[in-house]
Amino acid sequence: MKNESFGKKILNFIGNNSVPILFVLICVICIPISGFSASYLINEIVTRMGRNIFLILCLLIPIMAGMGLNFGMTLGAMAAELALILVSDWQIWGIPGIVLAMILSIPFSIVLGTFCGKILNMAKGREMITSYIISFFMNGIYQLIVLYMMGPIIPIKHSNVKLPRGYGIRNSVDLIHMRQYLDNLIAVRIGGVKIPVLTFLIIGVLCLFIIWFRKTKLGQDMRAVGQDMNVARDAGINVERTRIISIVMSTVLAGFGMVIYLQNMGNIATYSSHSQIGMFCIAALLVGGASVDRASIGNVFLGVILFHTMFIVAPKAGAMITGDSMIGEYFRVFISYGVITLSLILYETKKRKSKSLVGQQLAQAQKDEEEKA
Amino acid sequence: MNKTRRLLFQIGAVLILAAIAFCMMVIGRGHTVYFDNKILEYDDETYEPPYKVTVYVGGEQVAKLNAKERGMATTIGQDFEMELKIMEVKGGDETRETYQIKLPRTLDGIVVNLPGYLAGLPEEAWMSEFVPIVTESSEEEEVPGGDEFEMEDLGDF
Repeated sequence: MKNESFGKKILNFIGNNSVPILFVLICVICIPISGFSASYLINEIVTRMGRNIFLILCLLIPIMAGMGLNFGMTLGAMAAELALILVSDWQIWGIPGIVLAMILSIPFSIVLGTFCGKILNMAKGREMITSYIISFFMNGIYQLIVLYMMGPIIPIKHSNVKLPRGYGIRNSVDLIHMRQYLDNLIAVRIGGVKIPVLTFLIIGVLCLFIIWFRKTKLGQDMRAVGQDMNVARDAGINVERTRIISIVMSTVLAGFGMVIYLQNMGNIATYSSHSQIGMFCIAALLVGGASVDRASIGNVFLGVILFHTMFIVAPKAGAMITGDSMIGEYFRVFISYGVITLSLILYETKKRKSKSLVGQQLAQAQKDEEEKA
Repeated sequence: MNKTRRLLFQIGAVLILAAIAFCMMVIGRGHTVYFDNKILEYDDETYEPPYKVTVYVGGEQVAKLNAKERGMATTIGQDFEMELKIMEVKGGDETRETYQIKLPRTLDGIVVNLPGYLAGLPEEAWMSEFVPIVTESSEEEEVPGGDEFEMEDLGDF
């Protein structure tokens, strides 16, 4: 009996953590095949943690409010890119440039986040697909601004930012005077591994903010809305407003995260940097064991480590196994999409299972009552 | 009362952010400073360049200039400090001194003529704006415009 319950526990654990376990297995197989040294791998993972964690943390707030995975974080990324293009043209460099870009992204993010939140309020229960489509729609507006309005309407002075035709922004905007300024401001080298202390401190502050925020009145409201909107409404919570605030917060934080991400990369791919950022951040979060309705800071850290280990080793492992590195490249893109699909299927299956379990329990209770009568 | 307080907090937050943004715009303004070790003619006088000038910015050597040569350095903010190691004639003694220049905020690229600056001439004699020559690109950059859906790889993420 004891053994059976232990076995059940293990099965439950595997069932609940199937995605992280799958990724651990992939990493365990691919790391030795790739042939990368431990110091190289750790260096790469630490760099990517600093680059991505802030972006992924911004997904936690909408999950708390029951709005699922916020594909609309792309809007925050667009806001950050607009801000960085302007800052780059104004020639504000270094840390002041990064801070200015963050501040400048706030109004763009608030406007876009409010718009997204209002639309999502009209599509309750289908937030994820709606936010995904909103990001496509907003990408069109972004391209209109960047391709046609920057130059003639929004003044852009420098030829290294502007297209040679006189309007529109170049495919790639150089951020050489901001590149890794944040990461290098307080950096420590331990055994050949560069640790961007300041970036991690900023991430730490955001983690503390999220922990604190959960305990505030607004945080409690969001959790109540996330659990049951009708009950929350009956309790006097303004559900619509709370949901909009959660999306606005997520978008603003995504904007900050994108500035951190791009300063690390050192250039903006004007028309593509933002396009898949949501997809990859969500995939990383899900790899960490999060689900549509439950995510924690631990999931973010675990997800970034596992997902990026796979990202680093997959092309080389693919090249070693098949002789073609493109296989590895496709493999990691395929895995990213696949893990989102798998998580959504698992979530839906669990939801249906628990619903049918509740139904069965109700039926049994009714039957028992009838028998008693 | 509660609403008024909230509004005041919001206005305060916006003002603080605007003030920080303004400060960042002032202290973060980047400039490229070009050092010309070239002959300068000013007020019917000719100022000859030293044989060799080595320029240090922030303790790092950024240029080693013989006569008629140009070097450059980038800097953030309007207070520019440089250290010059000057050899007036070939094989002569080297002098080393620190100089500070106040850069105009509005200019991106600033050309400093070293012989004029070292001779103590007025600012308009040795400081000028660097105007880059914009060359026409032979091929246009490909920007999005089609209506096709692509499954693109993010590359490095």
